[in-house]
Amino acid sequence: MSQAATEHDGSQGTVELTVPADPAFVSVIRTVTASLAARRDFTIEEIDDLRIAVDEASALLLPHAGEAGSLSASFGGADNTLSISVSVPLPKGQAVPEPDQTSFAWMVLAALADSVTGSASGDRLMLTLTKARGARST
Amino acid sequence: MSERSRPDRERTQQLFGELATLTRGTARHSEVRAELVEIHMPLVRYLARRFTGRGEPADDLLQIGTIGLLQAIDRFDIGRGLEFSTFATPNIVGEIKRHFRDRGWMVRVPRRLQEMQGELATAINDLSQRLGRSPTIRELAEHMRLPEEQVIEATDSARAYSAVPLDVPNSTTGMTIADGLVEPDDALEHVELRHTLRPVLARLGERERRALVMRFVENKTQNEIAQALGVSQVHVSRLLAKTLAELRSKLPDVQVPG
Repeated sequence: MSQAATEHDGSQGTVELTVPADPAFVSVIRTVTASLAARRDFTIEEIDDLRIAVDEASALLLPHAGEAGSLSASFGGADNTLSISVSVPLPKGQAVPEPDQTSFAWMVLAALADSVTGSASGDRLMLTLTKARGARST
Repeated sequence: MSERSRPDRERTQQLFGELATLTRGTARHSEVRAELVEIHMPLVRYLARRFTGRGEPADDLLQIGTIGLLQAIDRFDIGRGLEFSTFATPNIVGEIKRHFRDRGWMVRVPRRLQEMQGELATAINDLSQRLGRSPTIRELAEHMRLPEEQVIEATDSARAYSAVPLDVPNSTTGMTIADGLVEPDDALEHVELRHTLRPVLARLGERERRALVMRFVENKTQNEIAQALGVSQVHVSRLLAKTLAELRSKLPDVQVPG
C-alpha cells in the first residue's frame, strides 16, 4: 500500500519529481505531465485533462503539506497509460485526512482521469490518477 | 440566501437619474457617485478575484477595478436602457487587464508563444476536422513544422493565457459562449453529488457553470463543448482551467477536509 509496486511494465520507465510545496511549482509538474503524455501519443485534449487533473490534485494536497514541505510526483504506466501519483508529506502529529469523495474536486478528478485513488499511509498523503490513451474516443 | 449580494438595481437607476441632473464637482455629485461605487463594489470584488494569483496583490486589483468602475459611472448613459452592471463589467475587466499588460504580465507568456496562439488554434481546428478527434502533440508538431517541445509549451500557455475574454461573440457564428449553453439543472437532477454541487455552481458565472456541467456532469469532450458553444477547443480549455482555478480560490469546500 505504501509503495507503488509494478510501475515499470512497458518501455516508458518511471519518472520522479519533487518540487517545493508551493503553488508556483505546480506548473513544473504540469509540464512534465504533458511531456510524458505526449510521448505516449495522448491527444491534446487528453493531455489537457491530465493537466487540469494534476492542478486539481495538487491543489487538494498542498494545504496538507507542512511548512517547508515538498510536493512529489511519480509518473509511471505502460505505453498507452499514464499514471501519476502526487503526494505530500504529512507534518508529524497531523491527523491523516480522508479524501472526501463527494467533494466537487473529487468529481472533477474522476471525470478527467480513468481512475482516481487516494491513500494516506505512513507519513504521506497521496492521490493517484490513471488515464489511458483513447479511452473515451467515440 | 445568495452569496453574491447583487447590486440594488432600483437604487442604481434612481442615482443615475439624479446624477444626470447634477453638475460635476458639486458636493451632491460626489456623494451620488460615491454611493454608486459602494453599491457596485461587490461586482468589482467578484471580477478582481478572477485575476488573483497572478502575482498582483488583491488590494491593488480592487483599486484598479474601482478605477474602471468610476470610469463606467462617468460614461454611463441611462437613456440607452442598458443595465449598468452589464455596461460596467467590460470596463472593470478592461482596466484590470490593461494594468496587467502595462505591468508586463501579458508578456510573461513569451511573445513567440503569444504569436503562436492563433496558429495553434487553427492547426487544432484543421486537424480535429480531418481526424475526427483531437490531434496528438506529434501530429500538431508535424502540421506546424515545430519541435514537439514547442507545441507542448504552446498548448500549456494557451490554457493559462486568458487574455481573450470569454464572452466575445465568435467571429463566424456570432454566438457568445453564454448563448450556446443549456440549462444545467436537468442534468444535475440525476447526479448524486448535486447537493455538493449546487451551492458551488450557484456562485459561478452563468457560462462557466454551464461549461463545467457539460464537461464534468454530462461528461462531454472539450471538442463537443466547443461545437455546442461555437468556440474553439482552446477557448473551452481556457474556460475550464480558469473556472476551476476560480473555484479553488473561492471555495473552502473544494479541499480534502482535514
